[in-house]
Amino acid sequence: MNPRRVFSVLGLFDSAPLLMQAIPKVKTNVTARLEAYSPFPIHGIDEALGLRKSPLTGMVLVMGIIGVTSGLGFELWTSGIDYPLMTAGKPYFSWEAFIPIMFEIMVLFACFTAGLGMLMALNRLPFFRHPMLRSKAMGQITRDKFALAVEPKGETLDVDAIASVLKEAGAVSVEVIEAPEPIRIASPDFLLSVLLAIVISSAVSGYATYWAIKLFPVSIPMVHMLDQPRLDPQRPSGFFKDGFGMRMPVPGTVARGTTLYGIGSEDEAGTLVNPMPRTGQALRQGQQDYRTYCSVCHGIRGDGVPTLTAAYGAKPANLVSRTIIDLPDGKIHHVIIDGKNAMPAYAADLPEDERWAVVHYVRALQRASNAKDDDIK
Amino acid sequence: MKSSVPLLSRDLAIQQLQAPPVLHGKVSFGSLDDQVLAPVYVKPSPAWFVAFAITSTAALLGMGFIGYTIATGIGVWGNNIPVAWAFGIINFVFWVGIGHAGTLISAILLLFRARWRNAISRFSEAITIFAVICATLFPLIHVGRPWLAFWLFPYPNQRGVWPNFRSPLLWDVFAVNTYFLVSLLFWYIGLVPDLASLRDRTANKIRKFVYSILCFGWRGAASHWQHYEKAYLVIAGLATGLVLSVHSVVSFDFAVSLVPGWHMTIFPPYFVTGAIFAGFAMVVMALVVVRSTMHLEHLITEYHLEVMNKIILTCSCLMAYAYLMEGFTAWYSMNPYIQYTFMQYIVGTYWWAGWLTITCNVLVPQLLWLRWFRRHYAGMIFVAVAVTVGMWFERFVIIVSSLHQDFLPSSWHIYKPTIVDCGILLGSFGLFFTLVLLFARVLPVIATTEMKMILPGAQPHHQGGTHEP
Repeated sequence: MNPRRVFSVLGLFDSAPLLMQAIPKVKTNVTARLEAYSPFPIHGIDEALGLRKSPLTGMVLVMGIIGVTSGLGFELWTSGIDYPLMTAGKPYFSWEAFIPIMFEIMVLFACFTAGLGMLMALNRLPFFRHPMLRSKAMGQITRDKFALAVEPKGETLDVDAIASVLKEAGAVSVEVIEAPEPIRIASPDFLLSVLLAIVISSAVSGYATYWAIKLFPVSIPMVHMLDQPRLDPQRPSGFFKDGFGMRMPVPGTVARGTTLYGIGSEDEAGTLVNPMPRTGQALRQGQQDYRTYCSVCHGIRGDGVPTLTAAYGAKPANLVSRTIIDLPDGKIHHVIIDGKNAMPAYAADLPEDERWAVVHYVRALQRASNAKDDDIK
Repeated sequence: MKSSVPLLSRDLAIQQLQAPPVLHGKVSFGSLDDQVLAPVYVKPSPAWFVAFAITSTAALLGMGFIGYTIATGIGVWGNNIPVAWAFGIINFVFWVGIGHAGTLISAILLLFRARWRNAISRFSEAITIFAVICATLFPLIHVGRPWLAFWLFPYPNQRGVWPNFRSPLLWDVFAVNTYFLVSLLFWYIGLVPDLASLRDRTANKIRKFVYSILCFGWRGAASHWQHYEKAYLVIAGLATGLVLSVHSVVSFDFAVSLVPGWHMTIFPPYFVTGAIFAGFAMVVMALVVVRSTMHLEHLITEYHLEVMNKIILTCSCLMAYAYLMEGFTAWYSMNPYIQYTFMQYIVGTYWWAGWLTITCNVLVPQLLWLRWFRRHYAGMIFVAVAVTVGMWFERFVIIVSSLHQDFLPSSWHIYKPTIVDCGILLGSFGLFFTLVLLFARVLPVIATTEMKMILPGAQPHHQGGTHEP
């Protein structure tokens, strides 16, 4: 058998003053590291043991600054850059409104750094296999006893000598705590249990995710706003006598944005003047409408040479001929509305302003076909 | 000037200035543990079960009404335009405020080194956490579709939208959540050494396992205590700023709007004071019950109760100032709308609520100038109940009285709560006291570690061996 591997030699004291008195006595006789255990913090013990100052405040300061800057940065980025949102006429980068959340994020970062940083980073907890937790003294330490332990780092201990030093310093009892068996990572038991844990946890989380994804979209708890009874156009309805869901406008209704066209014949229309100023925009609108509706029969240049000659028996009018040039604007406009001979009516396709735009464009085509030398300049 | 009274010697003067003892009788480290930790292991008394039955029934009733609200829609409440915020927000502000006393006791009084706080810090921190749980419930159900409440948090989403960080309502989300998390952390950090004590006292294997996990394997090493004390102090300092910010942010929900009666600069300090006021009343009520039923009279002494009652009295005077300031602001602003709203508080439809607030919050607490009321259960409970009622109705006045008469007289509407509103309010009280009872049953109600620190002989480096420097 190997000699016992010793983790520490621990002396138990009855009160805090006795422990404090013992520390310097033990320190002069033992070179190994000392650690004390107590049911509550004893002020001044860190200096007596020679502990270094806690770096916690520095950690908290750094994380607090990170919290402030990341909080402010995130708010500026979301509200000013990624999704620019103007509220109450304030500028995008109105940092004053971001102070409350910036402050809360700072407190959150700093507090969790203090709490978890203390427990996990500085105190290296949780540490459930720590040999102290299996000692007899532990139960008394959390109640009303105080312990001074010699915890070597690497070097071997003369257990009996240290025990007598502790006894002389006033310890009521001395306990030798054995070092734990090191965990053998390569052992089959350990590997098997790790593997089993991975399989079980991935199966559980996998199934949970699967069912969450499957069930969440179909379980809509309140559908009141999705169920909105309404009558779509072209749908039948028993509510009206004629059985149609859609209502026709009252005869004589004039749609918004249009004027009433009360002219019955082409001759009457001759007196109408084109109300639309001849601007570049009007000509472009006229060109688009002419090419869409008129050019199929009247030809792209208005010369009455259609692209679909074979399909129609009728011969479309030559719009750049002298007859049409002499026709007043109102009559051309009337023909667009009513049609003529084989030409159908286009009133339903072209609103009023677009009809007059087409008239402008026809005039432009006429001038283009009979261009004078002056026009080239 | 001649004085017939001789000057005191320096020592005598210091002696007279010293605070009275915060403990009665002889208490040792071991006996403290035995007494505080024992309720965790023994079966509770029949009285506990009766109380638990009552509170949990109320809580379940409230949960039923909440379920009904969620299933049917928010229309089952009395709120409607213009009183769109009624019980939901009143209860939220009320419960968040209750929590503030706990943080004040555990954090601010720690920084002031008030020794008497050690006995009641654990209990009042627990009250903070339970009150904030009750508070968060209300905005959650008030949004109507609580399963979409996660939209309040800024997370990357396919809609490419972020919440409005300039809105006080979003500040509220951050403030209340931070407050809850930090309070929980602070409470838990304080519990860790006590959980280690529980672990070492129990023989039951399952309990031992659970406590071992919960206390992170705490072993009380001096090198750990060093970081622990520093962390505790740092969190206390941060929590002090936090607790002042939380109710200020809650008050911004009102003050940042333009509603007459809400748009006032006094609101943040006024709300924070009111919160501490109501919170102390709640702590006094709950503490009286715990103290007498768990026989902790020598640890939580009459001195503790008296000091808390003095704080209630101070807050009451501050509240009186705030109410006067509201009237002064209305008059001095020369704004007819603010003046009209203020008159609504005292002679309008809800005049009785306004006067109930003033009676309960300003007049009744003046009884605490009398020593008898500060030191006797009947007196302090009477005042604490009055303060709780008064502070609830104060929020009722602020919210309902200010809102029910809109800028547009055709929208004016008298608000009446429904049975569902009242049921959910009752349920929140049930939930709160259920949690308090469970806490008293499964965790030590007094922080034994902190109490041990102030027992005689605990701090050899300080004179007299106590914690006092």
